Formats: sequence, structure tokens, C-alpha cells
Amino acid sequence: MNSTTKIVVWAAVAVLAGIIAVLAMSPKGASVENVDAAGLAGLAGDGVRVIDVRTAGEFEAGHVPGAENVPLDQLANALAGWDTSQPLAVYCATGARSTEAVTTLTRQGFTKIYHFNAGMVAWDGEVERGAVAVAQAFKPTETPVMYEFFTEW
Amino acid sequence: MVDRLEQEYEGKVLFKRLNPEEDAEASSIMAKYNLTSIPTFMFVNRDGSVAETLIGAAEESRLRQSLDALK
Repeated sequence: MNSTTKIVVWAAVAVLAGIIAVLAMSPKGASVENVDAAGLAGLAGDGVRVIDVRTAGEFEAGHVPGAENVPLDQLANALAGWDTSQPLAVYCATGARSTEAVTTLTRQGFTKIYHFNAGMVAWDGEVERGAVAVAQAFKPTETPVMYEFFTEW
Repeated sequence: MVDRLEQEYEGKVLFKRLNPEEDAEASSIMAKYNLTSIPTFMFVNRDGSVAETLIGAAEESRLRQSLDALK
């Protein structure tokens, strides 16, 4: 077995372990459904929110039309306040990062998650390019900013 | 309490206190991030990335922790 084959085998083992971990840790009531490219296209067409957990650079290079970019390392913070009963579809490049995202979402109580587990490499539909990154909705500033959203009671 | 923190962090962190019922920017941000609760605190780093979001009333020590972690 050459080194490339070993790397591929270990990567496959890691992805499988991740999937098993997700299944083992899914809280009762959470539904995680793997979908293929056609399935994801159908979900997006039905208005299901599609989350791309790759980096902003990968997202800009090409993503599923209508997808929102929330890089994996920002997901836990970004989803605070999201409606956990709202169905979400997630994907990354090959399924490794989106598997972690599914774990995060199930832990946070999301009840319906669609996982495009084959990832962007298996996407054969139209590709949208450019940044529409939710995580980068704020422009860079000279100092950090704290927003307080309040109302007069 | 937030007033006191605003004075203390003057020059280090910009405080934006927005009422979504009166401010279009606030309602736009809240819609974009699916924020539905009031109060909500959102901490944004210099590069525009969201560092943290706190839903609901927060204690001063918790706000300080988030403010100090901003980059």
C-alpha cells in the first residue's frame, strides 16, 4: 500500500468515524437525513436554508446557489438565536466538516437536518460564485463593536 | 450597567445600542442572523467576524468576558 492509498484509507476511516459519532450523539427527536446532490437541489428549491460550512475563500470560489456561508469554526456562535425547529441543510467540500457541523447542530437541539454528506465535490448543479457570507455581514472597523439590541418596555 | 461598561471600554470597543423597532439597521442585522430575542448582545471583531452572540439579559461579568475576548 503506497502512502497516497494510506492517506485515502485513513481519510475514509476518519469520515466514517465521524458519521458514527454523529449518529451516536444525536439527541432523541433529532432527524439527520443524508441527501445527494439532487436531494439538496430539491430542498433548496423548497426554501430549506442551506448552510455551507467551508471557509469564506472556498465559498467565494463556488457554492450551491442560495447557500449561506457560516464557516465551521464560526457555526456555534452564529447559530445562537436560530429557530431550532427550522430545517437546515449543511455541506462542506467532502463531508468531513459538515459531519462536525451536524454534531454541533444536533447538540444545539436542531430537529431536522439534511446532510449533503458527499459535499461540494459531488455537486453537479449550477454553481454560484462570490461572497454572500453571513459571517462577514459586518464591514471591518478600527475597533471591535458590541451591538446591544434592546427595546423600550 | 452597559453605560458604565461603555465608558470603561471607550476607545477599545464601540458600543452600538439599537432598538429594532426604531432602527432599520438593527432589524436588518437581527433578520440576517435570525435573532428573535430582546435583549441580545452581539460582539463583532475588527475584521467583521462575529465573535459571540449572547441571547437574553447578561450579567456584567459575562459581558466583560466577551468584551475582553474581542480582537
